[in-house]
Formats: sequence, structure tokens, C-alpha cells
Amino acid sequence: MKLRIGIHGLTSCYGCQLRMASVRELLEVAENFEIAYWYMVSSKGEISHVDIAFVEGSVSTAKDEEELKKIRENADVLVAVGSCAIYGGVQGMLFGKEYEEIFKEVYGDNKIEFEGRIGEPLKKYVKVDYNLPGCPPEEEEIIYYLATFAIGSYPEEKDYPVCTECRRKGYPCVLIEKNEPCLGPLTVAGCDARCPGYNVACIGCRGPLPHGIAWFDSLAKTFKEKGMSKEYIKARMEIFGKQYEKMDEMIEKVFEDED
Amino acid sequence: MRYVKIKDEKVYEFLEGLKNYGKLYAPVKISDKFYDRKEIDDVKKIAFDYIRTIMPAKKFFIPPKEEMFEIDIENGEYKEKLEEVEPFVLFGMHPCEIVALRILDGIYMDEYADIYYTRRRKAGIIIGLSCLPDEYCFCNLRRTDFVDIGFDLFFHELPDGYLIRVGSPNGHKIIDENLDLFAEVNQQDIDAFREFEEKRQRMFRCYGSFDNIRYLLELTMQDKLWDEESEKCFGCGNCTNTCPTCRCYDVQDIPNIDGKTGKRIRFWDSCQFRSHGLVAGGHNFRPTKKDRFLNRYICKNSYFYPLGTSYCVGCGNCTYFCPANIDFLGNLLKVRSTAEEVKNA
Amino acid sequence: MHNVYALYKCRVLRIYDLTDDVKLFLFRFENPSIAESWTFVPGQFVQLSIPGVGEVPISICSSPMKRGFFELCIKKAGRVTSKIFDLKPGDSVGVRGPYGNGFPVKDFEENDLLLIAAGIGMAPLRSVFMYALDNRWKFGNITVINSARYGKRLLFQKELEAMRDVAEAENIRIIQTVTRDPDWPGRIGRAQEHIKYANTRPDKSYVCVCGPPQIYNDVFNKLIEHGYDPKKIYVTLERRMKCGVGKCGHCIAGSSTFLKYICIDGPVFGYYDIISTPGLI
Ligand SMILES: Cc1cc2nc3c(=O)[nH]c(=O)nc-3n(C[C@H](O)[C@H](O)[C@H](O)COP(=O)(O)OP(=O)(O)OC[C@H]3O[C@@H](n4cnc5c(N)ncnc54)[C@H](O)[C@@H]3O)c2cc1C
Ligand code: SF4
Ligand code: SF4
Ligand code: SF4
Ligand code: SF4
Ligand code: SF4
Ligand code: FES
Repeated sequence: MKLRIGIHGLTSCYGCQLRMASVRELLEVAENFEIAYWYMVSSKGEISHVDIAFVEGSVSTAKDEEELKKIRENADVLVAVGSCAIYGGVQGMLFGKEYEEIFKEVYGDNKIEFEGRIGEPLKKYVKVDYNLPGCPPEEEEIIYYLATFAIGSYPEEKDYPVCTECRRKGYPCVLIEKNEPCLGPLTVAGCDARCPGYNVACIGCRGPLPHGIAWFDSLAKTFKEKGMSKEYIKARMEIFGKQYEKMDEMIEKVFEDED
Repeated sequence: MRYVKIKDEKVYEFLEGLKNYGKLYAPVKISDKFYDRKEIDDVKKIAFDYIRTIMPAKKFFIPPKEEMFEIDIENGEYKEKLEEVEPFVLFGMHPCEIVALRILDGIYMDEYADIYYTRRRKAGIIIGLSCLPDEYCFCNLRRTDFVDIGFDLFFHELPDGYLIRVGSPNGHKIIDENLDLFAEVNQQDIDAFREFEEKRQRMFRCYGSFDNIRYLLELTMQDKLWDEESEKCFGCGNCTNTCPTCRCYDVQDIPNIDGKTGKRIRFWDSCQFRSHGLVAGGHNFRPTKKDRFLNRYICKNSYFYPLGTSYCVGCGNCTYFCPANIDFLGNLLKVRSTAEEVKNA
Repeated sequence: MHNVYALYKCRVLRIYDLTDDVKLFLFRFENPSIAESWTFVPGQFVQLSIPGVGEVPISICSSPMKRGFFELCIKKAGRVTSKIFDLKPGDSVGVRGPYGNGFPVKDFEENDLLLIAAGIGMAPLRSVFMYALDNRWKFGNITVINSARYGKRLLFQKELEAMRDVAEAENIRIIQTVTRDPDWPGRIGRAQEHIKYANTRPDKSYVCVCGPPQIYNDVFNKLIEHGYDPKKIYVTLERRMKCGVGKCGHCIAGSSTFLKYICIDGPVFGYYDIISTPGLI
């Protein structure tokens, strides 16, 4: 029997859905799964029971929250897709600041019709079964996740950093060689170290490593030794890591220690 | 041992000729600071003065990622997947890496020989090249600074060419088939060889016996040093991935989207990662970053019985390629008594 | 050249529920010549693959004397074992092995035998026990101490209970004990607290222990207190394993002198190996 899947987008750039829609094996996906709901592809359709719901985006409005809860109620398995869903993403970067303040900064005195908030990860609201990281996720991983579900199993999530893939590829290390602020050491692997491959420092778009092994402190210390300022390091690490538990504390500690 | 000499002006011709024996790989510069072994088109690009490559030579025998089996999920079958292995030549191998391959042989070609490794190993011709150490090298402490076996030919630098030691029947064959490129070794060459070796011996960062290090390490595992050092570590695994004797790999079954077929792959793993010691139910045999950090020190300094050396060959890669600047040898020296340490200027 | 990672097809013949999350599987190699010639030593394990899902190490829990068949007792613990739980009779899996050193059962002969299991630890020890039963005349007194938290978690509880009285007459003592079950009618307490009830003579016994790593030190202390010879105490250990043949490096345990590979140097280790290899337990 084919698995019923739903693909949903909360507040996001729809990049993850777009990635899913553009996988080379899309036809096979359509053949092997019953796609019950795909907001981006056809805006029709009520949320109904599915075996697996893939949810992209962060919770940034009351409507998002409501929708997410409904998705969860109707899904046996829920997969958070992409950095927004897993960590709040770029729109979660301002976490900790007052929403009104930011709103003013961006929109001035204009009004918008929905109740907004700072983007937050799905796990703050519902139980998430699996994370499919990426910004957007890689094709290979999308297929891997789907295929493991198709055979009645589930995916093995990566818990090692981009550096590994950088080494497996043999790219020169931009952190060592050019003192660039590469976030590869604390970012979850899967992109085959795309950016270092172009001689560009990783910005951490796939999000920090899970299970408390993203060592913001150690990396910040090394950056500091290379002459980077606290503000600079923080700003860079916050882009995708703001809502990683204890990130702030970890960075502060490095600068406290030696002040 | 058989010795021949090759003069500088014949070297490129010889290297070009090596392509008749298989694909030629040699170190080339890939960026400001780094070298790697690449397939050689133009032999003039070979970097004779390289010290270390960012990918150790193990990549030719245990590729970073490889497919082991094709899986027929419907019929429950795994079909061996053996890719075509063509002969190849690795030119420019330093002694530490040659010993490293022999250590990998001890692991991968033991009574449970690994077919993927063995086939590639048998297809590879190894040509050594002498080197001068930098401050990261400590092969002298590991007694891997000069190799007796494990190569087909070994090139020792002379002022006007190379003194070649012939180490295997394949090596003899290559010499015999190119005899006109070689000359006999004369007294001057012998003197130059001796001088080179003497000079090299004086260049290492430190000297002394290092065999007690594994016991001292075991005895000092509670020291504060390990808290401090592991705190700096990113747990990125670069030290193990660039280590020529780290052989840990992970295995995964990857089903295809049809749910009927798939593949079993393996890829480089590292004990610096959380899941290396994790078992079902959540128990982790190396739960903290410090445990994992120490595991590498212990593993690398352990006694490798078949060769009578440690698993570490003293190449210095793990320090050179550590983005957190953690000094492997430096830490070991802190563990070892300082009294017998003779630092070089 | 032989591929050590190659898998041989095995069919599931029968499945028994042992506890909520442990099942016993009876397998046979599809290829009859392998089925007949394949043998092992108690304490060895196989690598079992579910195509497309992955591979796991599992101890063989039957006696090598039963040629043609083998049994595995499997706890549902994660990705692969969950799929194993979905198997039905007639399904096939891939198996390779046997691997590991196994218990030195030849040395055990003419001695008493004390088997101490906690939780899933009964799986490998059942193989030793069954082997000893098949070769009863070669062994002296035998005691099995089977322990778990709750009565319903005791592996092979019914099998062992059923043979208890008959066994006693044959100088085989069966002790089943639980630590946290108020409804359990039998013995209460940890395995080591029941060593004193064993029928084995400390000076003439070999001891095999298997359970979670935390129990080992307590068990060793009690055994030594009762006069058992440390040289004759064996344990079987667990680690993450990917290859089973000393390649993948996951199962190593640190000792600066010799690295121990649990898959080939073990999984069975003697007491002195344990105390001289930090990190082994
Ligand atoms: C020598 C030996 C004998 C064993 N005998 C038995 C037995 O008789 N019965 C039984 O139920 N279990 C036994 N185990 C434990 C069993 O191997 C694990 O429960 C199983 O690997 C879990 O895999 P999983 O995919 O279900 O779990 P996950 O947690 O999803 O594990 C993912 C992967 O990690 C590895 N892994 C995880 N846990 C372990 C582990 N404990 N040991 C080794 N590799 C692991 C496996 O490669 C596995 O595929 C034994 C383990 C060893 C080392
Ligand atoms: S370039 Fe970045 S990702 Fe690559 S090894 Fe260096 S720090 Fe890691
Ligand atoms: S290297 Fe870093 S920034 Fe680039 S794609 Fe990968 S995770 Fe994203
Ligand atoms: S390379 Fe350095 S930072 Fe990375 S794991 Fe090794 S010691 Fe730690
Ligand atoms: S441990 Fe470090 S010095 Fe030793 S062989 Fe490995 S990379 Fe080289
Ligand atoms: S140091 Fe770590 S990665 Fe290297 S061989 Fe040992 S266990 Fe494996
Ligand atoms: S399981 Fe791979 S080395 Fe032991």
C-alpha cells in the first residue's frame, strides 16, 4: 500500500518545497506515494490524515501555530523540513527581541493583517519525529528519507559536521588557510561541504548539530584567537543558530573567561 | 638491496614512463598551504617538496565513500558490488605514509581480509620519496622515519638526482624496463645520501624514546590537561579523517525511491563523533567530548602488534589540519617526562 | 577472493514471543550445504541484515549441537531491530558469521558452571547452557542465575521454569530473580545476591556473566568474596559494531598496550582482561 504524505509550508521562502518539487525522481515519488496534500503545488485540499507530514517553515503567526497543530493531529509521523522548521531559520534570528520593536524597524507604522511573532521551530509547539535539515535540503536526503519510510523503516539522521564532508572531498580548509569564519565544525553535514568547495566559509545554513554537540564555545574561541570580535562572531553564528539552546551563553563564556 | 641512480634531467621522462604502469598519482599543490595527491597529466606539476597531503594515501584504498553491495530488497538479496580496479602508481610517498599503509594492511588484510581494500592494494605501485621534516613531523619518535619494506621503489634526493632503492619484484621490473634512464651509484652519491640522512636526522622537533608514551598516557588520563585540551576541540573529526592510519568507517543501507532496490555503502567515520560509541537504548561508551578526545590519543598510541609500532606514524597531519590548533605531539610531550627531551633549535 | 561482508540468505522458520519487546527467532540457511556445515562456539555472534535497512550484531542463543538451525533472541531496540520484529515465518534475512571468540567451552569441561545473566544477557548464556545440556556428562554442577527488573522481562523464564525440578535432580540449579516486581512470586534481588545459592563449587567452577556494563563490578566482587577464581570468570560485552571483523573500528576499547576489538578479541573477555583494559566495561 502506498504511503499517504502531506507537504506543508508555514512561514518560509518555500525553498524547501521547491526543492522537493524539483527532485529528479519526482515522477517516482508520485508513483510510490499518495500525495494527499501539497500546498505549494495545489492550494486546494483540506488537511486530512496522512502517514507522514513534511512541514517546512517556522511558526511565525498564530495561523501557523493553528495549522501546525492540525497537521500534527492528522499525521502519524511529522518531519520538520529545513532550517526554519528545525531551528526557526533566518526569521528566527531575532529571537529574544521584542516583536513590536522589530516590526516598527521593518514596517514603520504600517499595519499588517496577521498576528506576527518571531519565527520559532516546530518542536516548540508539537512533537517532531524527524528532522530533514538543509536550506533547502539536498535532493539525495529527501529521497533517502522518503525511501526509508517507503520500506517501513525510518531515516538515520546525521549527527556529524560539515567538516567531515569537507575532508572526504579533500577541499582546502578556509578556516586554517585563510582565517575565514567557517561554521563547518558545528553545522550538520549533508551538503557535501558545498561552500568550502567554492573556497567560501560555511555560514551554517543547515543548522547546528543536534544532541548538544555544536561547540559554539570552542569555535568562538578559535575565531577570537584569529582576531574576530565578539559582535562579529555572534552575528555570524546567530544567522542560523540563534535558537540553539545555550548558544549565547557559550559565546559569552569565551569572552568572559579572558576579559 | 639493489640501488640505482637517476639524474635530474631524466626524472620527468621516468615519471612520464610511469604512466605505462597505471594511472599516475602524485602530490600537487591545491591551494596556498595545502597539497593533495591527484592524477597527473603534466608531470612538471608534481610537487617534490611537499610535506603532507590533506587527504592521506588511504583514500586510494578505502575511498571516503564506496558502494559495497547492491540490494534487491524484494528478494532479500545483497549483490557484491566490485568496481573495476585498474593498476595505478602512487609517486612521492613519504616513509610515514608507507608505514601507515602497512598498518592498514595489518587491519584490512588480516584473516578476515577486506576484498575492496585488498584488490586496490594489489593494484597499486608505491614509489617512495625522501623528505625533510617540518615542526609537525615526529616519525623519528615513532621509528617510522625510514622504511625497509612497503615500497616498490624509493627515491632518495641527491644534489643532482635521486638514489633509488628497489624494494620489490615490481620495482625491479620497472627499473629493468627503463634501464637507459639509470646510472650506477658512485661514491659521491653514497656520500650525498649519507649527508642527506644526517642532516634530516638533525632536523626533527624532538628526540628520545617514545615507547613509554602509551603507558604514561594511560596513567595520566585524569590530568587537567585533557579537560583543557578537549574543551578547545570542535569534535570535527578532521584529525582522524586526515590521519593516514585512521580506518574507522560507518555503513548504511540506502534504499531507492522505488522501495525495491538500494545499496549498502560505507564511508569514513570518526571516533570524535557522538554516534561512534553509541548503542541502542541510548547508552554511549564515549559520552563526552573529553572521552572522545582521549579515545583518539589512546587509539593512536596503542601498540600495533603486527608491526611492533604504534598506530600513529608521527606524520603530524592531525595537528596541521586541526582547525582548533590542537597540538597532538605537544600534548604527548607534556605527558612524557621532560627530562629526556632534546629540543632542536 | 571471498567477500567477508557477503550475506547468506536465511529463512525465518518460527517466531516466539519471549517478553513484550523480545522475540526468539528460529532460522535456517537457505543453502543446504551451508546449513549443514555451519557451526559456532557459544558466545559467538552473527551479523544480521534486513535488506535496505541495515545490519546488527546478534548473539547466537542456541546450542551448536543442533546442526542446520540456529536461534536468535532479539530485543526491539532501534531501526534495524524494529524491522526484525516485523518478520514473519518464511521471510528471509541476510546473515554472516559466526564472529567473535566465544566462550572457551573446552576449558570449561570437567568443571562446574555458573551462568549469571541480567536482562538481555541471558541470550548468549543460553547458548552456553544449551551446549552444556547437550554435553551434560562433560560438566559438573551447573547453576543458571537469570535476573531482570520485572518477572515479565525475564528471558526464557518459562523454558527455565519448566525444567527446574527435573534439572535439580541432575545437579542443575535454576535461579530466577527480579529486582523491582512486587507481583513476582519468586526470588527477589539482584543476580549477585543469589550467588550464594548456587550449587557450583567455587574452587571447581567457571563463571560466565552477561548483562549491562554497570553490574559487572558488583558481580565480580561478590564472586571473589565467595571464593571463585578470577582466572575463571568470563564476561561477554557489547559495543556498537559495523563490521564484526576488526575493520570499522567502532567496537574498540582503549588500552594503551593493546587495543581490544570487541568483535574479534571478544566479545568474551576474562576478568584479568577487564581489569587491565580501561574502558572495557
Ligand atoms: C556482540 C553483540 C551481541 C549482541 N547480541 C544481542 C542479542 O543476542 N540480542 C539482542 O537483542 N541484541 C543483541 N545485541 C545488541 C544489538 O546489536 C543492538 O540492539 C542492535 O544493534 C540495535 O540496532 P538498531 O538498528 O535496532 O538500533 P539503533 O539504535 O537504531 O542503531 C543503529 C545502528 O547502530 C549500531 N548499534 C546500535 N546499538 C548497538 C549495539 N548495542 N551493539 C552493536 N551495534 C549497535 C548498529 O549498527 C545499528 O544498526 C548484541 C550486540 C553485540 C555487540
Ligand atoms: S573549511 Fe570549514 S568545513 Fe572545511 S574543514 Fe575547514 S572548518 Fe571544516
Ligand atoms: S557549507 Fe554551510 S552554508 Fe554552505 S550549504 Fe553547506 S551548511 Fe550551508
Ligand atoms: S581536528 Fe582538532 S578540533 Fe577537530 S576533532 Fe580533531 S582535535 Fe578536535
Ligand atoms: S595520529 Fe596524527 S601524527 Fe599520528 S599518524 Fe595520525 S595524523 Fe599522523
Ligand atoms: S583514532 Fe578514532 S577514528 Fe582513528 S582509528 Fe582510532 S577510533 Fe578510529
Ligand atoms: S565491529 Fe568493526 S571493528 Fe569491531
